Amino acid sequence: MANVLIVDDSSTMRKIISRSLRQAGLPVDDIYEACDGIDGLNVLASGKSIQLILSDINMPNMDGLEFVKTVRGNGNTTPIVMVTTEGGEDIIQEAIENGASGSIKKPFTPGQLEEKLGALL
Amino acid sequence: MTLNADISASIHLTDEQLAACISDIVREIFELMVAMPTVKPLPSTAQIDASVCGVTGMLGFAGTYNGLISLHCPVELALGITSHMLGCDCNEVNDDLRDAIGEVANMLGGNVKRVLSKGGLDVRLSIPTVIFGGEHAVNVLSDPDCLVVAFDADGGVLLIGLTLKKE
Repeated sequence: MANVLIVDDSSTMRKIISRSLRQAGLPVDDIYEACDGIDGLNVLASGKSIQLILSDINMPNMDGLEFVKTVRGNGNTTPIVMVTTEGGEDIIQEAIENGASGSIKKPFTPGQLEEKLGALL
Repeated sequence: MTLNADISASIHLTDEQLAACISDIVREIFELMVAMPTVKPLPSTAQIDASVCGVTGMLGFAGTYNGLISLHCPVELALGITSHMLGCDCNEVNDDLRDAIGEVANMLGGNVKRVLSKGGLDVRLSIPTVIFGGEHAVNVLSDPDCLVVAFDADGGVLLIGLTLKKE
């Protein structure tokens, strides 16, 4: 079983993603939440065991692209999947070049989560 | 009301095509994320009273083109949307409602941005803003360059407005 960190400024979306991970039947144990990139870095720095990070891109304070860069800059190799409405190839490509493992477009189905995340968990 | 003709030419989409794209995006969001699959577009000829819309969620576009995408609905529908998204009853205008409507606006804006980007427009998105209250006026919907698409969602009116102007 894996622990997952969800980084999204919308508490509603964090709740929907958490629910969808369970509905998809993915092997998820604890789910941690962060409201922006800075909060996400704080969760990672707290020493919690996390096997997968799901991050929004368009967030205040520290956006998803900066979050990915900082996590990788810190030497953390945990897979990061961008969950975003902005499925534009340029932004996704930039995230991947900075170390993201892939992307999921919002809105999504639990089946799409399973398809994209199954191999990472 | 229609998009500015120069904008329509720039994105290679007619108002009807863009309205159809917005309809598809709204239906997908409401089916997959809001769990309200009954949302359906109203005819463009429908008489819509925007004054019943006590809740507005919006995002700004910036870049080569500036603009605004906004959604407007009555408080009762916003409460229903919030309840469906959270999976529990929401009976008052509170932070949960602001967050849920903001996220619907965010998904709408992000997906419309993808359509505009495919059409060649360079645009960036702002963070969503949600306002509410019976006294607020929705001026953007009366802008002659605003494309307005109306929906019926569980008996409530949902209006989507899109305005773009060249910098």
